[in-house]
Amino acid sequence: MSSQLIDHVQQYLGEDFPIKLISQGAEALVFETSKHPFNPSLNKEYIIKYRPFKEYRHSQIDKTITKKRTVGECRCLVKLNTMDEINVPQLIAADPYNGFIWQSKIGQTLANGTFSNLKNFLWMNNNDENAYKKEVEEVLYSVGRQIGILHINHYVHGDLTSSNIVLEQDKSSNEWTPFLIDFGLSGYSTLVEDKGVDLYVLERAILSTHSLYAEKYNEWLLEGYKQSYSNQDELKQVLKRFEEVRLRGRKRSMLG
Amino acid sequence: MTQPPLTKVLPKKNRDYYLCIGLEGSANKLGFGLIKQAVNDPLDTEVISNIRDTYNAPPGEGFMPRDTARHHKNWCCRVLKQVIKEAKEKLGSDFDLKKDVDCIAFTKGPGMGAPLHSVCVFARTLSLLNDIPLVPVNHCIGHIEMGRCVTKGLNPCVLYVSGGNTQIIAYSNNRYRIFGETLDIAVGNCLDRFARVLKISNAPSPGYNIEQLAKKGKHLIELPYTVKGMDLSMSGILQYLEQLTKSFLTNDFKFSKQKKRKLLEYLNDKDVIDSIEITVEDLCFSFQEHLFAMLVEITERAMAHVGANEVLIVGGVGCNMRLQEMMALMCRDRNGKLFATDDRFCIDNGVMIAQAGVLQHRCGYILEKLEDTRVTQTFRTDEVYVNWRE
Repeated sequence: MSSQLIDHVQQYLGEDFPIKLISQGAEALVFETSKHPFNPSLNKEYIIKYRPFKEYRHSQIDKTITKKRTVGECRCLVKLNTMDEINVPQLIAADPYNGFIWQSKIGQTLANGTFSNLKNFLWMNNNDENAYKKEVEEVLYSVGRQIGILHINHYVHGDLTSSNIVLEQDKSSNEWTPFLIDFGLSGYSTLVEDKGVDLYVLERAILSTHSLYAEKYNEWLLEGYKQSYSNQDELKQVLKRFEEVRLRGRKRSMLG
Repeated sequence: MTQPPLTKVLPKKNRDYYLCIGLEGSANKLGFGLIKQAVNDPLDTEVISNIRDTYNAPPGEGFMPRDTARHHKNWCCRVLKQVIKEAKEKLGSDFDLKKDVDCIAFTKGPGMGAPLHSVCVFARTLSLLNDIPLVPVNHCIGHIEMGRCVTKGLNPCVLYVSGGNTQIIAYSNNRYRIFGETLDIAVGNCLDRFARVLKISNAPSPGYNIEQLAKKGKHLIELPYTVKGMDLSMSGILQYLEQLTKSFLTNDFKFSKQKKRKLLEYLNDKDVIDSIEITVEDLCFSFQEHLFAMLVEITERAMAHVGANEVLIVGGVGCNMRLQEMMALMCRDRNGKLFATDDRFCIDNGVMIAQAGVLQHRCGYILEKLEDTRVTQTFRTDEVYVNWRE
């Protein structure tokens, strides 16, 4: 089936457009290309993200959602790119009616040959020897800081998981820089509630995916998050709501 | 990985199979089941008897804990007698509860307190009278183990959808971990409450009746759609639709012209919109399409996140054919596979409790104090240590 989807993308882009499928996410196919959509002098590495028609849902629901999310993602990328300190890919072009987005390519290959998102990075270091390494701690700190800066600017990500954070290593200092990707469910929000839910979603994703060292990971993430805030009042509110959201979870044991 | 210690306790009379009775009554269904499980393969389970009795509240009402508990108390003995009768037919007339059954499993939680408790008291009595070990079981684990056993699915992503739960579960490191779940109400509860507004009958189940109506629906109304990462929220869509339906019912099963134009705005043609009459069937249809699209979407997200290719649907809402159809389409696009069961095992039953219970029994679970059988309304799936899997 996925070959049919690729054919469709190839048709849309033109037969000789060089593309390579790199991943099939939940709602989008991600391609790599070396060609700029309209300016050949800028040919570098780009990512094409395509949200295909989902046959399982009603065509009208699909249409609304695809358009809403593609437009939303573009808006977020543009806005976030104008801000300092936030690392997100650059938006190159978009076609919301057909569900296409072009963006700059980020990420590299890890030492074990997998793509450099946070999930693979943590899995690579998933043993007692490596999990408590300074390197891991630093990475999680800076990821926490990124999320903090996002929230200070009143943006919420909406789908924070370890696969939606991509790492890039600086060649000289060997330091990892985290990039946030996949802003399909993101938006502008000044509500503490949305930020609290955002943190809760991340905590749960870490707990379920990296359960062995999840406690430590979450502690580091939250530490980085706290560091990014200069306004302690705001921080307090968000953290308080985060606690509340956590307690709200269903079928929680009522003891402690 | 080490092999799980699945034969720590051997069956009675040196048989090559275990016999276990499961008692379930966490909601409005009272179900007892007897299973026969092979010693060498825990997924090789034969259902000897699967008896269920459902308490149905009148249309427009939900089931109350005290009425449901009374129903369970009234029916416990009769259902058990039926199970023993079927066991005698299938296993030979010398079947004897006291001498043959290896363990009694019952639901410890989660569920409604009063019904859980009435079944628990019955289980304790049965265990003490006949001197058979008692095994408390997590209801959700029961669903998952039964689904695994019926479909022989190896390591699927599990979508557990019922009246009280909506969770996406995957197994890792000896626990069933919850990847996504509802942030407020469960999908079954959502359907039930919508059925109450429409005063649809509660027999055989409100969800089934909505499904039948939805089959005749044609026109889609756009409703709120709330997905947050791998979690979802359903109170918004329910409240919106409840209000819409109430105005629809008071207005003699019609929407005003303006309202209709707003609801069907996406058609972009006033004449077409004016010629359409929105019916109850359309409301049910739109509701199901939106709810299930959300469920399938978060399942797909979880699958992509953990890299799984198989999905298993369990729980009462899992018998909905439209949900199964949508899920199958999603799996096809991902080159995956869908496992689903039918209403005998999807809806709460005793067999699944027996299946999960016998696994714990085999691994050497011993009840230390009778106090440990106390029921609990809040018992999360990931609290259980799963020592019967690698």
